[in-house]
Amino acid sequence: MTRLYLSNDTSARAAGAERLAQAWAHAPGVELVRTSSRGAFFLEPLVERDGPDGRPDSRIVWPNVKAEDLPNILAGIGGTPIGRIAFLAEQQRVTFANFGITGPLSLDDYRAHGGWQGLERARSLSPEAVIDELKTSKLRGRGGAAFPVWTKWQVAKDAAADQKYVVANADEGDAGTYCDRMIMEGEPFRLIEGMLICAKAIGATRGFIYCRQEYPAAARTLREAIAAAEQAGWLTHERERFHLEVFVGAGSYVCGEETALLESLEGRRGVVRAKPPYPALSGLYGKPTIVSNVLTFATVPSILARGGRWHASLGTEGSRGTMALQVGGRVKQPGLVEIPFGATLAEVIERFGGGMASGARFKAVQVGGPLGSLFPASRLDIPICYDAFSQAGAILGHGGIVVYDDETDMVELARHFMAFTADESCGKCTPCRIGSVRSREILEQLQSGHSRPGDLDLLADLSETMKAASLCALGQRAPYPVLTAIEHFGSEFRK
Amino acid sequence: MSRQSLAAVLARHRTKPPNILQALLEIQGALGAVSVRAVPEIAKALDVTEADVAGVLSYYPELRPAQPGRHLIRVCLGESCMANHGAKVLARVRAHLKIEVGETTRDGRFTLAPIYCVGNCAVGPSLMVDGDVIGRVNPDQVPALLDSYT
Repeated sequence: MTRLYLSNDTSARAAGAERLAQAWAHAPGVELVRTSSRGAFFLEPLVERDGPDGRPDSRIVWPNVKAEDLPNILAGIGGTPIGRIAFLAEQQRVTFANFGITGPLSLDDYRAHGGWQGLERARSLSPEAVIDELKTSKLRGRGGAAFPVWTKWQVAKDAAADQKYVVANADEGDAGTYCDRMIMEGEPFRLIEGMLICAKAIGATRGFIYCRQEYPAAARTLREAIAAAEQAGWLTHERERFHLEVFVGAGSYVCGEETALLESLEGRRGVVRAKPPYPALSGLYGKPTIVSNVLTFATVPSILARGGRWHASLGTEGSRGTMALQVGGRVKQPGLVEIPFGATLAEVIERFGGGMASGARFKAVQVGGPLGSLFPASRLDIPICYDAFSQAGAILGHGGIVVYDDETDMVELARHFMAFTADESCGKCTPCRIGSVRSREILEQLQSGHSRPGDLDLLADLSETMKAASLCALGQRAPYPVLTAIEHFGSEFRK
Repeated sequence: MSRQSLAAVLARHRTKPPNILQALLEIQGALGAVSVRAVPEIAKALDVTEADVAGVLSYYPELRPAQPGRHLIRVCLGESCMANHGAKVLARVRAHLKIEVGETTRDGRFTLAPIYCVGNCAVGPSLMVDGDVIGRVNPDQVPALLDSYT
């Protein structure tokens, strides 16, 4: 029997892994093991075999496999040692260290690769000591707002309440990002472990994972993982049961904003709440609630297991640890890149993205999803960290990096972004509700050749109002991709 | 809409406070859509106002007041798919099915909807047909791909 490893991740399946699994289901001499994905999606479907010493880091891999390649794989012809895949070898994986190696729902695999060590350490400490570890780590929320994680935990811990909640924001709506989906599908126990550590720190007995409906496989895997963890006795808090549930959303982007998410979780329209009070004090059903992104929770177990000081030793002054970047668009090597903060945008696009896809020429790159700024070729020397991005008026967001080629029509792209905001605005505050529609209309007029003099000034004026007066990041950030498109590609707007 | 199954779903949602979104998602799961005509009965069963129910129903793009076609084709309009010229995929789907976004083919086979990112950015441009994600879609493959669904 030859054991072959093949990813069961949605993108690996979409790239052809499922076709291979079906074709080889009854192949003699083959034991097919489904794993998480390495995140080197340009190589998917990727098939792996154990190397000479049986260790995961010595596996032999075959990229972009077709069903008829099986005889060669079984004969050991043409494979590459995993260590020679530069895209992977040059990363510094922490949160994604086990990806491509372990079975997503195997508690044995999780345990054997360091799982639950963070939780066990947390349970040997006082809540205050757990929060101190987070404080030392200088971990900032990975969902986009980059708020120091420990301060929220401290507020929720200090609040007196008969019920507290831990909520994972799995409404990964920023287009161009999928690292949360990879975690939920590939190592769901890591998310659960992070949530349990938070529960221990703040004293919560209930948790929810708010998963977007666009991720059916993630929701399914999470439910199975919760059942397995429960059966194995992990879902407890101080000898009480920790109730953990998956709640699937209904296609609203703004529900990724924490207060809209809580409204939606309570079953209402996903409309943003005015802050303060912050959810850490008054969140789900008015109770102290920690809402954090999936990647943030998944980062916590390593911090507890290896220590806050270790985490703080990685990255840059204001941005400690590693960041999961999702490099995509028109690059040669799209995929997940986990490296310490500090590399420049150019390095990431060249070294990991492999430069432009065949025949494509660079025009712009957008970082941080549909609310993120566009950068032209002359601005790629910016280091990837919160401070540099914030000084540039940009956001790192959830780590999405989308490269556009020179066929991209910037006016159409700008209109596309504003139409998206107009569609997704929850309608609670006027600047976002009306501003996005009027901005879209101005861009449509421009596109159809019917713009009036002063339209771009009006757009700039509207943008300033949206930035200054909107209630949440959707309205505050929506003008940025449009304004940066005009700033760097102005001639296309002034035809 | 089968009244019996509506009542059966509602019977599971007599919690306090009721979760309107969850109830509507379950009704849609059981019946395929949430008809606007069912709003009064749902409101009564959940002990909320009709406006509460209608408000939630109209807010979420994935809650549908009418049955979609046998296959729901969702074309990804996320940035990464746009960067990979997913607009050409959408154009081919529209041309082949002769419908616009939001419409259903006359034979009831397909409903076309947009989707803002299916998290398949590295393997785009993407289509989601029913629950399945299809990656690296070449516009020229669209007719054959769609014709494979009956």
